[in-house]
Amino acid sequence: MQKILLFISLLLMPLAPIAAQAHAFLDHASPLVGSTVSAAPHEVVLTFTQNLEAAFSTAQVTDASGARVDGGKAQVSGNTMTVALKSIGPGSYKVHWHALSVDTHSTEGTFTFHVGGH
Amino acid sequence: MLADPLLYARAVHFAATMLVAGVVLFVVFVAEPAWRGSGDGAVAGNVRRRLAVIAWIGFALALISGAAWLVLTAAAMGDQPAAQIFGDGVLWTVLSQTTFGRAWLVRLVLACALAATLPTLLSSRDHKSPWLEIIVALLAAAFAGALAWSGHAAGGLGDEAFIHPAADVLHLIAAAAWVGALLPLTVLFAAAGADDASLAMARTATTRFSILGIVSVGTLLVTGIVNTFYLVGSAPALLHTDYGRLLLIKIALFLLMVAIAAVNRFRLTAQLLQQGSIIASRDALRQLRRNAAIEALAGAIVIAIVAALGTMPPAIHAAHQHPTYGPVPADAAFVHIHLVEGMADVTIRPGRTGRARATIRLWNEDFEALNARQLSLTLTAPAAAVGNAYPAREGRDGAWQVDGIELSEPGNWTVTVEVVLDQTKRLTLTAPIVIEPAQ
Repeated sequence: MQKILLFISLLLMPLAPIAAQAHAFLDHASPLVGSTVSAAPHEVVLTFTQNLEAAFSTAQVTDASGARVDGGKAQVSGNTMTVALKSIGPGSYKVHWHALSVDTHSTEGTFTFHVGGH
Repeated sequence: MLADPLLYARAVHFAATMLVAGVVLFVVFVAEPAWRGSGDGAVAGNVRRRLAVIAWIGFALALISGAAWLVLTAAAMGDQPAAQIFGDGVLWTVLSQTTFGRAWLVRLVLACALAATLPTLLSSRDHKSPWLEIIVALLAAAFAGALAWSGHAAGGLGDEAFIHPAADVLHLIAAAAWVGALLPLTVLFAAAGADDASLAMARTATTRFSILGIVSVGTLLVTGIVNTFYLVGSAPALLHTDYGRLLLIKIALFLLMVAIAAVNRFRLTAQLLQQGSIIASRDALRQLRRNAAIEALAGAIVIAIVAALGTMPPAIHAAHQHPTYGPVPADAAFVHIHLVEGMADVTIRPGRTGRARATIRLWNEDFEALNARQLSLTLTAPAAAVGNAYPAREGRDGAWQVDGIELSEPGNWTVTVEVVLDQTKRLTLTAPIVIEPAQ
Protein backbone atom coordinates (compact mmCIF):
# COMPACT_ATOMS: atom_id res chain seq x y z
CA MET A 1 0.00 0.00 0.00
CA GLN A 2 2.82 2.40 0.88
CA LYS A 3 4.42 1.77 -2.49
CA ILE A 4 1.14 2.58 -4.22
CA LEU A 5 0.83 5.80 -2.20
CA LEU A 6 4.41 6.69 -3.07
CA PHE A 7 3.76 5.94 -6.73
CA ILE A 8 0.64 8.11 -6.76
CA SER A 9 2.45 10.89 -4.92
CA LEU A 10 5.28 10.78 -7.43
CA LEU A 11 2.76 10.77 -10.25
CA LEU A 12 1.14 13.91 -8.88
CA MET A 13 4.36 15.61 -7.77
CA PRO A 14 4.76 17.74 -10.92
CA LEU A 15 1.37 19.23 -10.09
CA ALA A 16 2.62 20.69 -6.82
CA PRO A 17 3.11 24.40 -7.59
CA ILE A 18 -0.35 25.82 -8.05
CA ALA A 19 -2.27 28.90 -7.09
CA ALA A 20 -5.80 27.65 -7.67
CA GLN A 21 -8.29 27.51 -4.86
CA ALA A 22 -11.71 25.96 -4.41
CA HIS A 23 -14.45 27.74 -2.43
CA ALA A 24 -14.62 31.50 -2.41
CA PHE A 25 -12.10 33.08 -0.08
CA LEU A 26 -11.35 36.74 0.23
CA ASP A 27 -8.40 37.41 -2.04
CA HIS A 28 -8.04 41.10 -1.33
CA ALA A 29 -10.15 44.08 -0.38
CA SER A 30 -10.23 47.81 -0.91
CA PRO A 31 -9.60 49.37 1.60
CA LEU A 32 -6.97 46.71 2.37
CA VAL A 33 -7.68 44.30 5.22
CA GLY A 34 -6.46 45.83 8.47
CA SER A 35 -5.26 49.00 6.76
CA THR A 36 -5.55 52.62 7.81
CA VAL A 37 -6.66 54.99 5.07
CA SER A 38 -6.46 58.77 5.31
CA ALA A 39 -9.59 59.62 3.29
CA ALA A 40 -12.96 57.97 3.97
CA PRO A 41 -13.80 55.54 1.15
CA HIS A 42 -17.17 55.65 -0.67
CA GLU A 43 -17.35 51.91 -1.09
CA VAL A 44 -15.74 48.66 -0.02
CA VAL A 45 -14.69 46.33 -2.83
CA LEU A 46 -14.10 42.68 -1.98
CA THR A 47 -12.36 40.41 -4.47
CA PHE A 48 -12.74 36.65 -4.00
CA THR A 49 -10.93 33.59 -5.27
CA GLN A 50 -14.04 32.26 -7.05
CA ASN A 51 -17.10 33.56 -8.82
CA LEU A 52 -19.99 34.33 -6.48
CA GLU A 53 -23.74 33.82 -6.55
CA ALA A 54 -25.20 37.33 -6.38
CA ALA A 55 -28.47 36.18 -4.82
CA PHE A 56 -26.83 34.78 -1.69
CA SER A 57 -23.67 36.86 -1.19
CA THR A 58 -23.77 39.79 1.23
CA ALA A 59 -21.50 42.30 2.93
CA GLN A 60 -22.21 44.62 5.84
CA VAL A 61 -20.05 47.40 7.19
CA THR A 62 -20.45 48.63 10.77
CA ASP A 63 -18.76 51.35 12.77
CA ALA A 64 -17.24 51.00 16.23
CA SER A 65 -20.69 51.28 17.84
CA GLY A 66 -22.08 48.50 15.67
CA ALA A 67 -24.26 50.78 13.53
CA ARG A 68 -24.57 49.91 9.84
CA VAL A 69 -22.73 52.37 7.60
CA ASP A 70 -23.18 50.55 4.28
CA GLY A 71 -25.70 51.62 1.67
CA GLY A 72 -27.62 48.34 1.53
CA LYS A 73 -27.35 45.35 -0.75
CA ALA A 74 -23.91 44.56 -2.13
CA GLN A 75 -23.45 44.44 -5.90
CA VAL A 76 -21.89 41.23 -7.14
CA SER A 77 -20.11 40.90 -10.45
CA GLY A 78 -18.12 37.76 -11.15
CA ASN A 79 -15.73 37.38 -8.24
CA THR A 80 -16.07 40.89 -6.83
CA MET A 81 -18.56 42.26 -4.36
CA THR A 82 -19.00 46.02 -3.95
CA VAL A 83 -20.88 47.63 -1.10
CA ALA A 84 -21.49 51.38 -1.05
CA LEU A 85 -20.77 53.35 2.13
CA LYS A 86 -22.63 56.22 3.72
CA SER A 87 -20.47 59.23 4.42
CA ILE A 88 -18.22 58.13 7.27
CA GLY A 89 -15.76 59.90 9.51
CA PRO A 90 -12.53 58.84 11.18
CA GLY A 91 -12.76 55.61 13.13
CA SER A 92 -12.59 51.86 12.99
CA TYR A 93 -14.95 49.93 10.67
CA LYS A 94 -15.75 46.27 10.52
CA VAL A 95 -16.65 44.50 7.27
CA HIS A 96 -18.58 41.24 7.60
CA TRP A 97 -18.91 39.31 4.34
CA HIS A 98 -20.80 36.17 3.44
CA ALA A 99 -19.93 34.65 0.06
CA LEU A 100 -21.73 31.83 -1.71
CA SER A 101 -19.41 30.42 -4.35
CA VAL A 102 -20.81 29.18 -7.65
CA ASP A 103 -19.67 25.75 -6.41
CA THR A 104 -22.57 25.94 -3.82
CA HIS A 105 -20.33 26.32 -0.75
CA SER A 106 -20.50 29.30 1.61
CA THR A 107 -17.67 31.07 3.36
CA GLU A 108 -17.74 34.11 5.59
CA GLY A 109 -15.36 36.36 7.39
CA THR A 110 -14.75 39.74 8.95
CA PHE A 111 -11.98 42.28 8.84
CA THR A 112 -11.50 45.83 9.97
CA PHE A 113 -10.09 48.91 8.37
CA HIS A 114 -9.47 52.30 9.90
CA VAL A 115 -10.09 55.78 8.63
CA GLY A 116 -7.47 58.12 10.06
CA GLY A 117 -8.41 61.57 11.27
CA HIS A 118 -5.26 63.22 10.02
CA MET B 1 -20.19 14.29 8.35
CA LEU B 2 -21.99 10.94 8.18
CA ALA B 3 -25.05 12.56 9.77
CA ASP B 4 -25.35 15.00 6.86
CA PRO B 5 -28.42 14.01 4.78
CA LEU B 6 -26.87 15.78 1.77
CA LEU B 7 -24.22 13.07 1.67
CA TYR B 8 -26.87 10.37 1.14
CA ALA B 9 -28.86 12.41 -1.39
CA ARG B 10 -25.65 12.95 -3.36
CA ALA B 11 -24.62 9.27 -3.15
CA VAL B 12 -28.01 7.99 -4.33
CA HIS B 13 -28.21 10.64 -7.04
CA PHE B 14 -24.72 9.95 -8.41
CA ALA B 15 -25.37 6.18 -8.42
CA ALA B 16 -28.83 6.52 -10.00
CA THR B 17 -27.58 8.97 -12.65
CA MET B 18 -24.63 6.73 -13.51
CA LEU B 19 -27.01 3.76 -13.76
CA VAL B 20 -29.55 5.48 -16.05
CA ALA B 21 -26.85 6.92 -18.31
CA GLY B 22 -24.91 3.64 -18.10
CA VAL B 23 -27.89 1.55 -19.29
CA VAL B 24 -28.46 3.90 -22.24
CA LEU B 25 -24.80 4.04 -23.29
CA PHE B 26 -24.49 0.26 -22.84
CA VAL B 27 -27.58 -0.44 -24.97
CA VAL B 28 -26.51 1.96 -27.73
CA PHE B 29 -22.79 1.14 -27.93
CA VAL B 30 -22.63 -2.49 -26.75
CA ALA B 31 -25.87 -4.44 -26.63
CA GLU B 32 -27.81 -3.31 -29.73
CA PRO B 33 -24.84 -3.84 -32.10
CA ALA B 34 -24.31 -7.29 -30.53
CA TRP B 35 -28.00 -8.17 -30.91
CA ARG B 36 -28.09 -6.97 -34.51
CA GLY B 37 -25.30 -9.41 -35.33
CA SER B 38 -26.70 -12.43 -33.49
CA GLY B 39 -30.30 -12.68 -34.63
CA ASP B 40 -31.23 -14.23 -31.26
CA GLY B 41 -34.38 -12.30 -30.42
CA ALA B 42 -35.25 -14.22 -27.25
CA VAL B 43 -32.09 -13.30 -25.31
CA ALA B 44 -32.25 -9.70 -26.55
CA GLY B 45 -35.89 -9.36 -25.46
CA ASN B 46 -35.11 -10.85 -22.06
CA VAL B 47 -32.15 -8.50 -21.49
CA ARG B 48 -34.07 -5.44 -22.76
CA ARG B 49 -36.89 -6.08 -20.26
CA ARG B 50 -34.44 -6.34 -17.35
CA LEU B 51 -32.49 -3.28 -18.45
CA ALA B 52 -35.76 -1.35 -18.71
CA VAL B 53 -36.57 -2.25 -15.09
CA ILE B 54 -33.07 -1.16 -13.97
CA ALA B 55 -33.31 2.08 -15.96
CA TRP B 56 -36.72 3.04 -14.56
CA ILE B 57 -35.69 2.25 -10.96
CA GLY B 58 -32.58 4.37 -11.53
CA PHE B 59 -34.73 7.09 -13.00
CA ALA B 60 -37.12 7.18 -10.03
CA LEU B 61 -34.20 7.21 -7.56
CA ALA B 62 -32.48 9.99 -9.54
CA LEU B 63 -35.63 12.16 -9.41
CA ILE B 64 -36.25 11.65 -5.68
CA SER B 65 -32.59 12.10 -4.66
CA GLY B 66 -32.19 15.03 -7.07
CA ALA B 67 -35.15 16.77 -5.44
CA ALA B 68 -33.72 16.08 -1.97
CA TRP B 69 -30.31 17.42 -3.03
CA LEU B 70 -31.93 20.58 -4.40
CA VAL B 71 -33.98 21.19 -1.23
CA LEU B 72 -31.00 20.60 1.08
CA THR B 73 -28.73 22.85 -1.00
CA ALA B 74 -31.36 25.60 -1.24
CA ALA B 75 -31.84 25.42 2.55
CA ALA B 76 -28.07 25.78 3.06
CA MET B 77 -27.81 28.64 0.55
CA GLY B 78 -30.73 30.51 2.09
CA ASP B 79 -29.59 29.61 5.62
CA GLN B 80 -33.10 28.41 6.45
CA PRO B 81 -34.71 25.14 7.53
CA ALA B 82 -35.62 22.94 4.54
CA ALA B 83 -39.34 23.34 5.26
CA GLN B 84 -39.22 27.12 4.87
CA ILE B 85 -37.57 27.43 1.47
CA PHE B 86 -40.83 26.76 -0.39
CA GLY B 87 -42.74 29.64 1.15
CA ASP B 88 -40.02 32.25 1.13
CA GLY B 89 -39.21 31.98 -2.56
CA VAL B 90 -35.71 30.74 -1.74
CA LEU B 91 -36.22 27.62 -3.86
CA TRP B 92 -37.18 29.68 -6.90
CA THR B 93 -34.27 32.09 -6.35
CA VAL B 94 -31.91 29.10 -6.25
CA LEU B 95 -33.44 27.58 -9.40
CA SER B 96 -33.53 30.79 -11.40
CA GLN B 97 -30.47 32.70 -10.20
CA THR B 98 -27.73 30.25 -9.25
CA THR B 99 -25.51 28.07 -11.42
CA PHE B 100 -26.49 25.03 -9.35
CA GLY B 101 -30.22 25.75 -9.76
CA ARG B 102 -29.97 26.34 -13.51
CA ALA B 103 -28.00 23.10 -13.89
CA TRP B 104 -30.81 21.34 -12.03
CA LEU B 105 -33.47 22.84 -14.33
CA VAL B 106 -31.49 21.81 -17.42
CA ARG B 107 -31.07 18.31 -16.00
CA LEU B 108 -34.80 18.10 -15.28
CA VAL B 109 -35.53 18.92 -18.94
CA LEU B 110 -32.95 16.31 -20.01
CA ALA B 111 -34.57 13.78 -17.67
CA CYS B 112 -38.00 14.44 -19.20
CA ALA B 113 -36.56 14.00 -22.71
CA LEU B 114 -34.88 10.77 -21.60
CA ALA B 115 -38.13 9.51 -20.09
CA ALA B 116 -39.88 10.20 -23.38
CA THR B 117 -37.31 8.36 -25.51
CA LEU B 118 -36.28 5.46 -23.23
CA PRO B 119 -39.35 3.29 -23.96
CA THR B 120 -38.56 3.35 -27.70
CA LEU B 121 -34.87 2.59 -27.11
CA LEU B 122 -35.69 -0.36 -24.85
CA SER B 123 -38.66 -1.62 -26.89
CA SER B 124 -38.58 -5.12 -28.32
CA ARG B 125 -38.25 -3.87 -31.92
CA ASP B 126 -34.99 -5.15 -33.36
CA HIS B 127 -34.11 -2.40 -35.77
CA LYS B 128 -34.03 1.04 -34.27
CA SER B 129 -33.25 4.28 -35.98
CA PRO B 130 -29.56 5.17 -35.53
CA TRP B 131 -30.73 8.77 -35.03
CA LEU B 132 -32.84 7.72 -32.06
CA GLU B 133 -29.86 5.88 -30.56
CA ILE B 134 -27.56 8.88 -31.04
CA ILE B 135 -30.09 11.30 -29.54
CA VAL B 136 -30.81 9.15 -26.47
CA ALA B 137 -27.07 8.56 -25.96
CA LEU B 138 -26.43 12.33 -26.11
CA LEU B 139 -29.28 13.00 -23.68
CA ALA B 140 -27.92 10.40 -21.25
CA ALA B 141 -24.38 11.79 -21.54
CA ALA B 142 -25.64 15.34 -20.95
CA PHE B 143 -27.77 14.20 -17.99
CA ALA B 144 -24.66 12.73 -16.34
CA GLY B 145 -22.17 15.38 -17.53
CA ALA B 146 -24.26 18.36 -16.34
CA LEU B 147 -23.69 17.14 -12.76
CA ALA B 148 -20.34 18.94 -13.11
CA TRP B 149 -22.08 22.24 -12.33
CA SER B 150 -23.39 20.94 -9.00
CA GLY B 151 -20.12 21.15 -7.15
CA HIS B 152 -16.46 21.91 -6.90
CA ALA B 153 -15.80 22.11 -10.65
CA ALA B 154 -17.91 25.27 -10.91
CA GLY B 155 -16.74 28.63 -9.66
CA GLY B 156 -13.14 28.80 -10.79
CA LEU B 157 -11.55 31.84 -12.35
CA GLY B 158 -9.43 32.27 -15.48
CA ASP B 159 -8.49 29.08 -17.33
CA GLU B 160 -9.95 26.99 -14.53
CA ALA B 161 -13.42 28.35 -15.33
CA PHE B 162 -13.34 26.38 -18.61
CA ILE B 163 -10.88 23.55 -18.08
CA HIS B 164 -12.19 22.29 -14.73
CA PRO B 165 -15.90 21.92 -15.69
CA ALA B 166 -14.92 20.48 -19.10
CA ALA B 167 -12.74 17.85 -17.43
CA ASP B 168 -15.49 17.07 -14.92
CA VAL B 169 -18.15 16.68 -17.65
CA LEU B 170 -15.94 14.16 -19.47
CA HIS B 171 -15.11 12.45 -16.16
CA LEU B 172 -18.80 11.98 -15.35
CA ILE B 173 -19.70 10.71 -18.84
CA ALA B 174 -16.77 8.27 -18.84
CA ALA B 175 -17.76 7.05 -15.36
CA ALA B 176 -21.33 6.47 -16.57
CA ALA B 177 -20.12 4.64 -19.70
CA TRP B 178 -17.91 2.31 -17.67
CA VAL B 179 -19.12 2.03 -14.05
CA GLY B 180 -22.79 2.62 -14.93
CA ALA B 181 -22.62 -0.03 -17.65
CA LEU B 182 -21.20 -2.79 -15.42
CA LEU B 183 -24.58 -3.81 -14.00
CA PRO B 184 -26.18 -3.96 -17.48
CA LEU B 185 -23.15 -6.04 -18.58
CA THR B 186 -23.71 -8.60 -15.80
CA VAL B 187 -27.39 -8.78 -16.82
CA LEU B 188 -26.36 -9.52 -20.40
CA PHE B 189 -23.80 -12.12 -19.30
CA ALA B 190 -26.40 -13.78 -17.07
CA ALA B 191 -28.79 -14.18 -20.01
CA ALA B 192 -26.17 -15.49 -22.45
CA GLY B 193 -24.30 -18.76 -22.78
CA ALA B 194 -27.15 -21.25 -23.17
CA ASP B 195 -26.49 -21.79 -26.89
CA ASP B 196 -24.00 -20.93 -29.63
CA ALA B 197 -25.96 -17.91 -30.86
CA SER B 198 -26.09 -16.26 -27.45
CA LEU B 199 -22.41 -17.09 -26.86
CA ALA B 200 -21.59 -15.34 -30.15
CA MET B 201 -23.68 -12.38 -29.01
CA ALA B 202 -21.81 -12.32 -25.67
CA ARG B 203 -18.48 -12.37 -27.58
CA THR B 204 -19.46 -9.33 -29.65
CA ALA B 205 -20.76 -7.53 -26.57
CA THR B 206 -17.58 -8.27 -24.59
CA THR B 207 -15.35 -7.01 -27.41
CA ARG B 208 -17.37 -3.83 -27.78
CA PHE B 209 -17.52 -3.28 -24.01
CA SER B 210 -13.76 -3.60 -23.75
CA ILE B 211 -13.35 -0.79 -26.33
CA LEU B 212 -15.85 1.37 -24.41
CA GLY B 213 -14.00 0.48 -21.18
CA ILE B 214 -10.54 1.39 -22.50
CA VAL B 215 -11.76 4.75 -23.82
CA SER B 216 -13.55 5.43 -20.53
CA VAL B 217 -10.59 4.45 -18.32
CA GLY B 218 -8.24 6.63 -20.38
CA THR B 219 -10.67 9.56 -20.10
CA LEU B 220 -11.15 9.00 -16.34
CA LEU B 221 -7.39 8.94 -15.79
CA VAL B 222 -6.65 12.16 -17.70
CA THR B 223 -9.67 14.12 -16.40
CA GLY B 224 -9.11 12.73 -12.89
CA ILE B 225 -5.58 14.17 -12.91
CA VAL B 226 -6.96 17.55 -14.07
CA ASN B 227 -9.58 17.53 -11.26
CA THR B 228 -6.95 16.53 -8.69
CA PHE B 229 -4.74 19.37 -9.91
CA TYR B 230 -7.48 21.89 -9.20
CA LEU B 231 -8.91 20.41 -5.99
CA VAL B 232 -5.82 19.03 -4.25
CA GLY B 233 -2.93 20.73 -5.97
CA SER B 234 -0.03 19.23 -4.06
CA ALA B 235 1.30 15.93 -2.76
CA PRO B 236 1.27 17.09 0.91
CA ALA B 237 -2.38 18.12 0.56
CA LEU B 238 -3.12 14.67 -0.89
CA LEU B 239 -1.42 12.87 1.98
CA HIS B 240 -2.27 15.09 4.95
CA THR B 241 -5.94 16.02 4.52
CA ASP B 242 -9.13 13.99 4.92
CA TYR B 243 -10.09 15.02 1.40
CA GLY B 244 -6.76 13.88 -0.01
CA ARG B 245 -6.79 10.56 1.86
CA LEU B 246 -10.35 9.78 0.80
CA LEU B 247 -9.34 10.63 -2.76
CA LEU B 248 -6.40 8.21 -2.44
CA ILE B 249 -8.84 5.44 -1.41
CA LYS B 250 -10.92 6.31 -4.47
CA ILE B 251 -7.83 6.16 -6.69
CA ALA B 252 -6.85 2.81 -5.14
CA LEU B 253 -10.34 1.40 -5.86
CA PHE B 254 -10.11 2.79 -9.40
CA LEU B 255 -6.76 0.99 -9.87
CA LEU B 256 -8.32 -2.22 -8.48
CA MET B 257 -11.16 -1.91 -11.00
CA VAL B 258 -8.66 -1.29 -13.80
CA ALA B 259 -6.68 -4.38 -12.68
CA ILE B 260 -9.83 -6.53 -12.80
CA ALA B 261 -10.73 -5.01 -16.18
CA ALA B 262 -7.23 -5.88 -17.43
CA VAL B 263 -7.72 -9.53 -16.37
CA ASN B 264 -11.10 -9.50 -18.14
CA ARG B 265 -9.63 -7.95 -21.25
CA PHE B 266 -6.41 -9.91 -21.66
CA ARG B 267 -7.24 -13.33 -20.19
CA LEU B 268 -10.97 -13.97 -20.00
CA THR B 269 -11.99 -12.18 -23.21
CA ALA B 270 -9.31 -14.11 -25.10
CA GLN B 271 -10.65 -17.33 -23.55
CA LEU B 272 -14.23 -16.38 -24.45
CA LEU B 273 -13.27 -15.60 -28.02
CA GLN B 274 -11.72 -19.05 -28.57
CA GLN B 275 -14.28 -20.63 -30.82
CA GLY B 276 -13.04 -24.19 -30.16
CA SER B 277 -14.34 -25.01 -26.72
CA ILE B 278 -17.87 -24.15 -25.58
CA ILE B 279 -17.01 -25.24 -22.04
CA ALA B 280 -14.00 -22.88 -21.91
CA SER B 281 -16.13 -20.06 -23.33
CA ARG B 282 -18.91 -20.63 -20.77
CA ASP B 283 -16.35 -20.75 -17.99
CA ALA B 284 -14.87 -17.46 -19.21
CA LEU B 285 -18.36 -15.94 -19.40
CA ARG B 286 -19.11 -17.02 -15.81
CA GLN B 287 -15.86 -15.46 -14.56
CA LEU B 288 -16.45 -12.30 -16.58
CA ARG B 289 -19.87 -11.97 -15.00
CA ARG B 290 -18.45 -12.42 -11.50
CA ASN B 291 -15.65 -9.91 -12.16
CA ALA B 292 -18.07 -7.36 -13.60
CA ALA B 293 -20.17 -7.70 -10.43
CA ILE B 294 -17.06 -7.15 -8.25
CA GLU B 295 -16.13 -4.12 -10.37
CA ALA B 296 -19.67 -2.77 -10.04
CA LEU B 297 -19.43 -3.13 -6.24
CA ALA B 298 -16.09 -1.28 -6.19
CA GLY B 299 -17.70 1.32 -8.46
CA ALA B 300 -20.56 1.77 -5.97
CA ILE B 301 -18.02 2.45 -3.20
CA VAL B 302 -16.23 4.93 -5.48
CA ILE B 303 -19.55 6.73 -6.04
CA ALA B 304 -20.18 6.89 -2.28
CA ILE B 305 -16.69 8.41 -1.85
CA VAL B 306 -17.43 10.94 -4.61
CA ALA B 307 -20.63 11.88 -2.77
CA ALA B 308 -18.64 12.49 0.42
CA LEU B 309 -15.82 14.40 -1.31
CA GLY B 310 -18.31 16.91 -2.68
CA THR B 311 -19.46 17.84 0.82
CA MET B 312 -15.89 18.26 2.12
CA PRO B 313 -13.64 21.26 1.70
CA PRO B 314 -11.19 20.39 -1.08
CA ALA B 315 -7.68 19.60 0.09
CA ILE B 316 -6.29 22.63 -1.66
CA HIS B 317 -7.57 24.88 1.11
CA ALA B 318 -8.46 22.39 3.82
CA ALA B 319 -4.82 21.54 4.23
CA HIS B 320 -4.39 24.02 7.01
CA GLN B 321 -6.73 22.07 9.26
CA HIS B 322 -4.01 19.45 9.50
CA PRO B 323 -0.97 21.35 10.56
CA THR B 324 2.46 20.11 9.63
CA TYR B 325 3.94 22.00 12.57
CA GLY B 326 4.18 20.75 16.13
CA PRO B 327 1.39 20.79 18.71
CA VAL B 328 0.25 24.11 20.15
CA PRO B 329 1.33 24.51 23.82
CA ALA B 330 -1.61 24.30 26.24
CA ASP B 331 -0.95 27.76 27.68
CA ALA B 332 -0.72 29.47 24.29
CA ALA B 333 -3.23 31.37 22.20
CA PHE B 334 -3.04 30.23 18.60
CA VAL B 335 -4.58 31.32 15.33
CA HIS B 336 -4.08 30.21 11.77
CA ILE B 337 -4.71 32.90 9.16
CA HIS B 338 -5.21 31.82 5.60
CA LEU B 339 -5.11 33.82 2.40
CA VAL B 340 -4.39 32.71 -1.13
CA GLU B 341 -0.98 34.36 -1.17
CA GLY B 342 0.08 32.79 2.08
CA MET B 343 -0.84 31.71 5.55
CA ALA B 344 0.44 32.57 9.00
CA ASP B 345 0.38 30.61 12.24
CA VAL B 346 0.46 33.01 15.17
CA THR B 347 1.22 31.61 18.62
CA ILE B 348 1.09 33.92 21.64
CA ARG B 349 2.52 32.42 24.81
CA PRO B 350 1.24 32.63 27.42
CA GLY B 351 -2.14 33.39 25.90
CA ARG B 352 -3.35 35.41 28.87
CA THR B 353 -3.13 38.99 30.11
CA GLY B 354 0.33 40.24 30.96
CA ARG B 355 3.60 40.03 29.07
CA ALA B 356 3.88 37.44 26.36
CA ARG B 357 5.92 36.36 23.40
CA ALA B 358 4.60 35.81 19.89
CA THR B 359 5.90 33.38 17.28
CA ILE B 360 4.77 33.70 13.68
CA ARG B 361 5.35 31.10 11.01
CA LEU B 362 4.60 31.80 7.38
CA TRP B 363 3.64 29.20 4.78
CA ASN B 364 2.59 29.19 1.19
CA GLU B 365 -0.23 27.01 -0.19
CA ASP B 366 2.14 24.07 -0.59
CA PHE B 367 3.22 24.21 3.05
CA GLU B 368 6.64 25.46 2.15
CA ALA B 369 8.05 28.13 4.42
CA LEU B 370 7.37 31.55 2.97
CA ASN B 371 10.39 33.85 2.94
CA ALA B 372 9.69 37.38 4.09
CA ARG B 373 11.95 40.41 4.28
CA GLN B 374 10.14 42.11 7.10
CA LEU B 375 7.27 41.28 9.39
CA SER B 376 5.31 43.27 11.91
CA LEU B 377 2.61 42.16 14.32
CA THR B 378 -0.23 44.40 15.44
CA LEU B 379 -2.38 43.45 18.41
CA THR B 380 -5.61 45.33 18.97
CA ALA B 381 -7.42 45.05 22.31
CA PRO B 382 -11.13 44.08 22.26
CA ALA B 383 -12.63 47.58 22.33
CA ALA B 384 -9.68 49.56 21.00
CA ALA B 385 -9.67 51.21 17.60
CA VAL B 386 -5.93 51.20 17.14
CA GLY B 387 -3.57 48.42 18.11
CA ASN B 388 0.04 48.22 19.18
CA ALA B 389 2.46 47.36 16.41
CA TYR B 390 5.58 45.31 17.14
CA PRO B 391 8.39 44.64 14.69
CA ALA B 392 9.33 40.96 14.57
CA ARG B 393 12.79 39.48 14.13
CA GLU B 394 13.48 36.35 12.17
CA GLY B 395 14.86 33.42 14.16
CA ARG B 396 17.23 30.76 12.91
CA ASP B 397 14.44 28.22 12.34
CA GLY B 398 12.64 30.62 9.97
CA ALA B 399 9.99 31.60 12.54
CA TRP B 400 9.50 35.26 13.40
CA GLN B 401 9.58 36.32 17.06
CA VAL B 402 8.21 39.24 19.04
CA ASP B 403 9.15 39.56 22.71
CA GLY B 404 7.60 41.75 25.36
CA ILE B 405 4.05 41.96 24.08
CA GLU B 406 1.71 43.70 26.54
CA LEU B 407 -1.71 42.11 26.75
CA SER B 408 -3.70 44.57 28.83
CA GLU B 409 -7.04 42.77 29.10
CA PRO B 410 -8.69 39.42 28.34
CA GLY B 411 -11.15 38.94 25.47
CA ASN B 412 -11.33 38.88 21.68
CA TRP B 413 -8.23 40.58 20.38
CA THR B 414 -7.44 41.21 16.75
CA VAL B 415 -4.11 40.08 15.43
CA THR B 416 -2.75 41.56 12.19
CA VAL B 417 0.39 40.27 10.53
CA GLU B 418 1.92 42.59 7.94
CA VAL B 419 4.49 40.91 5.76
CA VAL B 420 6.86 42.44 3.23
CA LEU B 421 7.64 39.63 0.78
CA ASP B 422 9.66 41.63 -1.71
CA GLN B 423 9.79 45.14 -3.11
CA THR B 424 6.33 44.93 -4.62
CA LYS B 425 4.53 42.21 -2.69
CA ARG B 426 3.02 42.77 0.71
CA LEU B 427 0.67 40.57 2.62
CA THR B 428 -1.73 41.51 5.40
CA LEU B 429 -3.32 38.76 7.45
CA THR B 430 -5.91 39.57 10.11
CA ALA B 431 -7.84 37.33 12.49
CA PRO B 432 -9.36 37.37 15.97
CA ILE B 433 -7.47 35.69 18.80
CA VAL B 434 -8.76 34.94 22.30
CA ILE B 435 -6.70 36.11 25.28
CA GLU B 436 -7.57 34.50 28.62
CA PRO B 437 -7.65 36.32 31.97
CA ALA B 438 -4.48 36.14 34.09
CA GLN B 439 -4.31 33.16 36.46
